[in-house]
Amino acid sequence: MDYSLEVQERFRSPARAGEFAEGTPQVVAGEAEDRTLNVWFRFQISVAGTVIRAVRFRAFGCPHSIAAAAWVADGLEGRDVAAIADLDMHELRRKLDAPVEKLGKLLVLEDALRACWDALQDQAESRNGS
Amino acid sequence: MTSKPIYLDYAATTPVDPRVAAVMRECLEPGGDFENPSSPHSGGRQARFRVEKAREQIARRVGVAPETIAFTSGATESNNLAIQGALNADSARGRHFVTSITEHKAVLDTAAAMERRGIEVTYLRCDTQGIVSPQQVDDAITDQTALVSIMHVNNETGVIQDIGEIAERCRASGALLHVDAAQSVGKVPVPIDAWGADLVALTAHKIYGPKGIGALYVKPGTRLAPVIHGGEWDGGVRPGTLATHQIAGMGEAYELADPDREGAELRELRDRLWNGLSQLDNVRLNGHPTQSSPHVLNVAFPGVDGDSLRLGIGEIAVSAGAACDAATPEASHVLSALGLSNALAASSQRFSVGRFTTIEQIDETIRRVTAEVGRLREIAAGAPAWAGN
Repeated sequence: MDYSLEVQERFRSPARAGEFAEGTPQVVAGEAEDRTLNVWFRFQISVAGTVIRAVRFRAFGCPHSIAAAAWVADGLEGRDVAAIADLDMHELRRKLDAPVEKLGKLLVLEDALRACWDALQDQAESRNGS
Repeated sequence: MTSKPIYLDYAATTPVDPRVAAVMRECLEPGGDFENPSSPHSGGRQARFRVEKAREQIARRVGVAPETIAFTSGATESNNLAIQGALNADSARGRHFVTSITEHKAVLDTAAAMERRGIEVTYLRCDTQGIVSPQQVDDAITDQTALVSIMHVNNETGVIQDIGEIAERCRASGALLHVDAAQSVGKVPVPIDAWGADLVALTAHKIYGPKGIGALYVKPGTRLAPVIHGGEWDGGVRPGTLATHQIAGMGEAYELADPDREGAELRELRDRLWNGLSQLDNVRLNGHPTQSSPHVLNVAFPGVDGDSLRLGIGEIAVSAGAACDAATPEASHVLSALGLSNALAASSQRFSVGRFTTIEQIDETIRRVTAEVGRLREIAAGAPAWAGN
């Protein structure tokens, strides 16, 4: 399979692959998997107020999957948390020049981010409630 | 670091040996033996001489008489011709066909086509190391079995089946035996006469000959219904103008193929590769540790996606253990038959060594694969158990 330069670079140098040190404050996590697609993602997002301070990820899957996770992690840092919900996997697929059959894997990535978003909402609600 | 691409996909195809190319060139150009080997003039007779010399070279390599070798376009056609021809022959004793689920698609797809035409097909399973036992074959044969087709060397795992014993069981029960030996020649002995097989598919491009040429061994007395019609028939089996240059190339390739010498060299390279890769934690050899061809090594790397590994190791040509491009990865039917999960099959890589493989290339491959497996497993740390990490 041919891979775009964008995919090759992000696959080879996924700067934010890994996880935060234990005790890092204000971290939420979310993960999703689909074993029929051979793909799994876990994201950790550290926030300060409503700003995403840093992102880390783990991924098992094809080069497009790892590159997509790296692209998302790089792109979210410094942005408002609302950006998590705004990510469009169709647009991401186009940016990576990934074949359409990879969209299913990107939707699993979206599920992992949505789990992070839900965790952020839960966190906010519990703060407001306390 | 090695900068040139490393080719470890010799089980897919091989480059043409320069000595083979030289012989082919002699049959292509003006002044060479380019004429139609069926033509009665002197040029035609010279081309015919080339064809018959090649037939003798091939026959000698596999231990049979030259007149039992018919030329085809390759092993896929040979397999089709053998299976369709034997099952459709008037002399077929029944409408039952026995084969195994680890055969090449050239056999399995032909079996499926025959099923659609009313042939009953029994697909034998293999054990977890890829072996189909002669007893399984024996048990599957009925008085309606016209043909059994079992491959000699598996193209994905290199596992070798006990063809001699299987042939004996077939002979005892009156069923014909067809053997797909596309991967075998030059790597392991192919003693067709000693086996006692009735039909054997051969090819050139796996053994440093050209693509587009193969042969079918047909034991004297074996009746085949034609699959292709028209013109003069080679060996009474297959019509069409004989491709002198390709046939001469195949003959030369078989002349040069020496499993006793080259097989030992290939085994040394493959074993060196396995010794290096098996230093990694949690790797698995797919296939049989000893009953296998010296040129193929199939390894599963749990916790690593095969596509990612192939991209990560750079310019090293290896083959996938599974077709992973589709939305739903389809595991290799051979690796699935060995009991591998989809994820494990998708993590698998087939390395196949050949005449032009060097020790330096093997060592560079070990270095790159080791580094990349470690990197990908680190990125996937914490993945679910099904991923194998």
